[in-house]
Amino acid sequence: MAPKAGQPAAAANSPLQTLWKAYTDTTPDRLKFIDSFLLFLMLSGVIQFVYCILVTDFPFNAFLAGFSSTVGQFVLSASLRSQVNPDNKEEFKEVSPERAFADFALGSIVLHFFVYNFLG
Amino acid sequence: MRTAYPIPQNLSPETVNNTASLLRIVALILISGAAIASRLFAVINFESIIHEFDPWFNFRATKVLASEGFYEFWNWFDPTAWYPLGRVVGGTIYPGLMATSGVIYNVLHALHLPVDIRNICVLLAPGFSAFTAWSTYMFTKELKDESAGLLAAAFIGIVPGYISRSVAGSYDNEAIAIFLLMFTFFCWIKALKSGSVLFSTVAGVFYFYMVAAWGGYVFITNMIPLHALVLLLMGRFSSRLYVAYSSWYAIGTLASMQVPFVGFQPVKTSEHMAALGVFGLLQIVAFAQLVRAHVSSKQFQSLLYYAVVATGLLGAIAFALLTYKGWIAPWTGRFYSLWDTGYAKKYIPIIASVSEHQPTAWPAFFMDLQFLIFLFPAGVALCFRQLRDEHVFVIIYAVMASYFAGVMVRLMLTLTPVVCVSSAVALSALLDTYIDPQEPLEDQEESKERTKAPDASNGATTHQDSTPVSPAMPKKGKKAAATAASSSSATKTQTTSSTVTFILDALSSSSTKKSSSSKPRGIFGFDARLAVILNTIGMLLFFVYHCTWVTSTAYSSPSVVLASSNSDGSQHIIDDFREAYYWLRQNTEKDAVVMSWWDYGYQIAGFADRATLVDNNTWNNTHIATVGKAMSSSEEVAYPILRKHDVDYVLVIFGGLLGYSGDDINKFLWMVRIAQGVWPDEIQEANYFTPNGEYRVDNQASNTMKNSLMYKMSFYRYPDLFGGGQATDRVRQQSIPSPGPTLDILDEAYTTENWIVRIYQVKKDDFLGRDHKTANAFAQGKRRRKAKPPVRRKALLA
Amino acid sequence: MFLPTLFWLAAVAIAGVHARSSAGDSVLVVVEPEHQAKYSIFFQNIKDRGYELTFRAPQTEEPRLVEFDAPKFSHVVILAPEIKSIAKDIGPQGLVDVLSRGVNLLVALPQKQSPLSAFAAEFSLILPPPNTHLISYFPERNESATIIPVAPSKDHPILTNGITPIWFSGAPHALSTNPYLVPILHAPAQSFAGEPDSPGDVLADAAEKGGEGLWAGSQLGIVTGFQASNNARVTFVGGREVFSDEFAQKEINPGTKSGNTQFVNDIVAWTFQESLVFRVDKVEHRGLNTPISSDKYTVNDNVIFSAYISKYDPQTSTWASYSGIDDLQLEFTMLDPHIRTALLPESETPGKYSVTFRVPDRHGVFKFVINHRRNGMTYLQSSTTVAVVPPRHDEYPRFLSAAWPYYVGAMSTSIGFVLFSALWMARDVREEKKGKTE
Repeated sequence: MAPKAGQPAAAANSPLQTLWKAYTDTTPDRLKFIDSFLLFLMLSGVIQFVYCILVTDFPFNAFLAGFSSTVGQFVLSASLRSQVNPDNKEEFKEVSPERAFADFALGSIVLHFFVYNFLG
Repeated sequence: MRTAYPIPQNLSPETVNNTASLLRIVALILISGAAIASRLFAVINFESIIHEFDPWFNFRATKVLASEGFYEFWNWFDPTAWYPLGRVVGGTIYPGLMATSGVIYNVLHALHLPVDIRNICVLLAPGFSAFTAWSTYMFTKELKDESAGLLAAAFIGIVPGYISRSVAGSYDNEAIAIFLLMFTFFCWIKALKSGSVLFSTVAGVFYFYMVAAWGGYVFITNMIPLHALVLLLMGRFSSRLYVAYSSWYAIGTLASMQVPFVGFQPVKTSEHMAALGVFGLLQIVAFAQLVRAHVSSKQFQSLLYYAVVATGLLGAIAFALLTYKGWIAPWTGRFYSLWDTGYAKKYIPIIASVSEHQPTAWPAFFMDLQFLIFLFPAGVALCFRQLRDEHVFVIIYAVMASYFAGVMVRLMLTLTPVVCVSSAVALSALLDTYIDPQEPLEDQEESKERTKAPDASNGATTHQDSTPVSPAMPKKGKKAAATAASSSSATKTQTTSSTVTFILDALSSSSTKKSSSSKPRGIFGFDARLAVILNTIGMLLFFVYHCTWVTSTAYSSPSVVLASSNSDGSQHIIDDFREAYYWLRQNTEKDAVVMSWWDYGYQIAGFADRATLVDNNTWNNTHIATVGKAMSSSEEVAYPILRKHDVDYVLVIFGGLLGYSGDDINKFLWMVRIAQGVWPDEIQEANYFTPNGEYRVDNQASNTMKNSLMYKMSFYRYPDLFGGGQATDRVRQQSIPSPGPTLDILDEAYTTENWIVRIYQVKKDDFLGRDHKTANAFAQGKRRRKAKPPVRRKALLA
Repeated sequence: MFLPTLFWLAAVAIAGVHARSSAGDSVLVVVEPEHQAKYSIFFQNIKDRGYELTFRAPQTEEPRLVEFDAPKFSHVVILAPEIKSIAKDIGPQGLVDVLSRGVNLLVALPQKQSPLSAFAAEFSLILPPPNTHLISYFPERNESATIIPVAPSKDHPILTNGITPIWFSGAPHALSTNPYLVPILHAPAQSFAGEPDSPGDVLADAAEKGGEGLWAGSQLGIVTGFQASNNARVTFVGGREVFSDEFAQKEINPGTKSGNTQFVNDIVAWTFQESLVFRVDKVEHRGLNTPISSDKYTVNDNVIFSAYISKYDPQTSTWASYSGIDDLQLEFTMLDPHIRTALLPESETPGKYSVTFRVPDRHGVFKFVINHRRNGMTYLQSSTTVAVVPPRHDEYPRFLSAAWPYYVGAMSTSIGFVLFSALWMARDVREEKKGKTE
């Protein structure tokens, strides 16, 4: 997963604080809701990855299935986020937010189908 | 605006649109018909039979699927292939083709249409070629417009480069793979253009279907990431790219791992790492974009930029480290030999020995593509002019496919779609310019212009000015000569002004009369248009003629049945292969084991239904080398190998009587090389040549050659045919010394009518424990050399 | 009163006398007519055992040995070693051919050069130079040096125990290392092969070379059997005198008759497939937990394999189950044996040998191979082919405990997705309502 890019030294707190402030102020609620879901997925994926490295990767297909389900869902949600973001309206001419959600649901169902097929 | 020729007036846009749609649909139907019809030569000339070698295995697998159901097929272990190792078929094939045929079979049977599975398999490829034409139409439509799409569909419907692998009877993976390739690319481009997750998901699902169907899916796995990477480097990152690529990758990769043969390769081998790398890169870049949107300070932005670059580099180093440590497998031999072309000949002679893997000779390009090959660069250049995202894709595809097609003949197949697309774009651009009836305004009187007199009056005063109707320039597709011909006619309609301007910029040098002002550019006069259009139609007709001719003569032979002509011109069928295979089927035990070179393994399994030692799957090099060793060694060395593997019959192909040059003696050096790879001490290639370095089979042949089992089997009793005269081997153009070779460990079981296939039976161990040579000598009445009693005491010296 | 015992005696007599072969009763005897009377006791004994004898002179063409591509006789006895020419179908090539069809042979070897020398050479017997006899000056006796008493070894599987020494006259032969050879009688230790007229020449030559080149000692064979891989048997006897009436009636020690009759009976019983004849009746194999047999096993399955062996009883002319083989082996082979284990006799069922083992962890086409070769016994050979397949897609272990984090992760993602969609659509509905009411 992409690590937080703002970490290196310089004036330690202020870039991060400004970033956080800017984020909370400018982001609509919908997008924050999606972001929380994204965070949850990222945590779940990290936990599985760490387990795989530290303990065992034995049923490798189960690891791949679980990990891919988080990654895939994350990507789909991030796509949904960018599609309903009002800033991106002119890029997504053919995709209205409702259509975006429908596509998201379809993609997720297909993803989960493959995940459960691969899991056992 | 004036028009060069009369066009109908007072047509409402709806009428125009509807007529255009109708014409398009009719054109696509006719193109599909042409595509299917031109692939049926083999069925009409010979019969409905599966061709070549590999399709026979696919056919057997499909029969198992159709008769026993999906789960039996999924778990099928074939004990008759690669005897005695067996082959786990379920886990070592790409099941897409068989599953498709199985589904079609079940659907037809559910509709109470009892179509035989063989007919389904034979006619699957022509059927899917119609789909390929349609998906190429959709793909090209995204690039330019519908008229280019129709041209592309027509081209790919009949172009020999694609027909060679999809004639009726060629039941191989490429039959459905090319359709899936074009459709996946179409879905990808559509996803990229619209940014919709729906198309990405569909692209992912069809990518999965492609992975299930063909080993060449690696091409897609690397082409789409390459496209995304180039777009990134061109600074064209956008949310649409992120959405399209990430969804495609997540769903497609997970789905592709469902195929057992692929398994975990997408996360463990170098061929798939590019996709993973680009995926990671896109995540980083998207995140950076997001963060940047919230913070404006320049300092922070530059920090961000460096952080992104650093992360990217770290990722690359991580990949390199993992590859070095072995966690990520390096490029496999098949794909590595595409980059390092000398690699296969030295290290993996099996790959180098396949005739399809040789580099392409330049005439092959013309034979397979005719005039498309020189329209192809023009089309790519036109893509540079437009340079939307999808054009970048076509450019990348064109460059990579050209390289691969130059390396391996077999990969002409992946070049063909992009050639069709690009040349359709170029030709469509040309035709757009010359069919467009609008003539530019005459600006000044001194400019020398020739005008067609009646047109000025016909050319109505008012033309419905460039109402940007959606590009409607339908053309009827060209049909193959075999079906009913209908002349092509183009309905004259308005073209979009934007297209015209674009074309005018690009091709302004034709018969435009000089106009001193720069603004009005165009083509004046009906005769200029007529000349170019007639020329183009002529070239297209030649193309059709060429394609049909090449298809009927070169690519429609089943290769199981050979045809030649008698002295009076009538067709003479040489059916030796089937004669021999059916002899095996009817005259040997059900559990007999047949040894032959691996080329014929699938056919023996398919026709004769007997166990074989090695076949075209070539997955076990040592087993093949064992067969090669048996073929190239003397009888004493070969016999224990034959007995250990329970071989009952040995089959060789010999073309010396007829002049059939694809026989085993011509392939013999490859057997030697492969055996030498595993037993370099026992078999050396140099021993099979004369001291001068020539490859001879007559009395100058080296002793190793004369004593080898392959030589003996090929020429056993051959001099007897000529009754004392010169026994000539027509392929090598040399004469075989008489008396011919003798065989001690084999009995001749069957030789076909034209001596093409020779079958020998392996003698069981001598029942008295002697070696066969001595036993045969005794049976002929020769006296044995007196043996000395074994010494058991030492001499006592006084 | 007498009747039952008479009946019983007759039955025993008939049974005891009719020791029939497992391979057939017709015997062709090739002997010169003028010598036929010399072997009357031998021929009578064979007849008494239940065989039909047909006599033929060596050079005559009738009765033919093979007619319409099938042998007409089950056994052939050749007592005409010294003839110069012999009919084609009983010459060397003909005899080898008929042996390959399962006919058993009893051959007396010549001392001079004869067509049969070439025949014997095919059986890995190395014949001495022509006109060589076996000569022994020990034990001291009145007969000439070429008539030698030979004591058969004890515990020979073919010969009955406690057989008295026999008289022998003829040529020895050397045995090579062919495993099909079954040595029956070796020359006495003090004997050597030399010309009967001037035996000293050979000894003198050999003495000069330090003993090298002298055909001597007990390494020489004088009666040797050969069992071909199709289980047809040939016995080579160094000289036909062994069968003669004269030797049969000669006394070996004062008061004891020679053992020639008994010896000849024994080798005839062995050669004509009466004694030491075994066969594998059938083999069975099945998975340990299933009652039916199949030709497909999965890797790491447990398999039980059984073989039923019976031995031919010449007294009753029937096959009886036999559990006496204690070193029977089973090989589970794919190109090379992957498993080699002992097939032990089961105590409950006579004649049944079985073993349970685990199929190796390798898929392929395997064979159950029994290949039991012991000196003098019929070769027990059996090969059954089965396929060993990898586990089916649903036979792998599933729902492993080690994978719980992944299962939880995948399920949490699905649940999260469902919750998210529900909340999203609820929010949409709420916003719509808000929009409508405004």
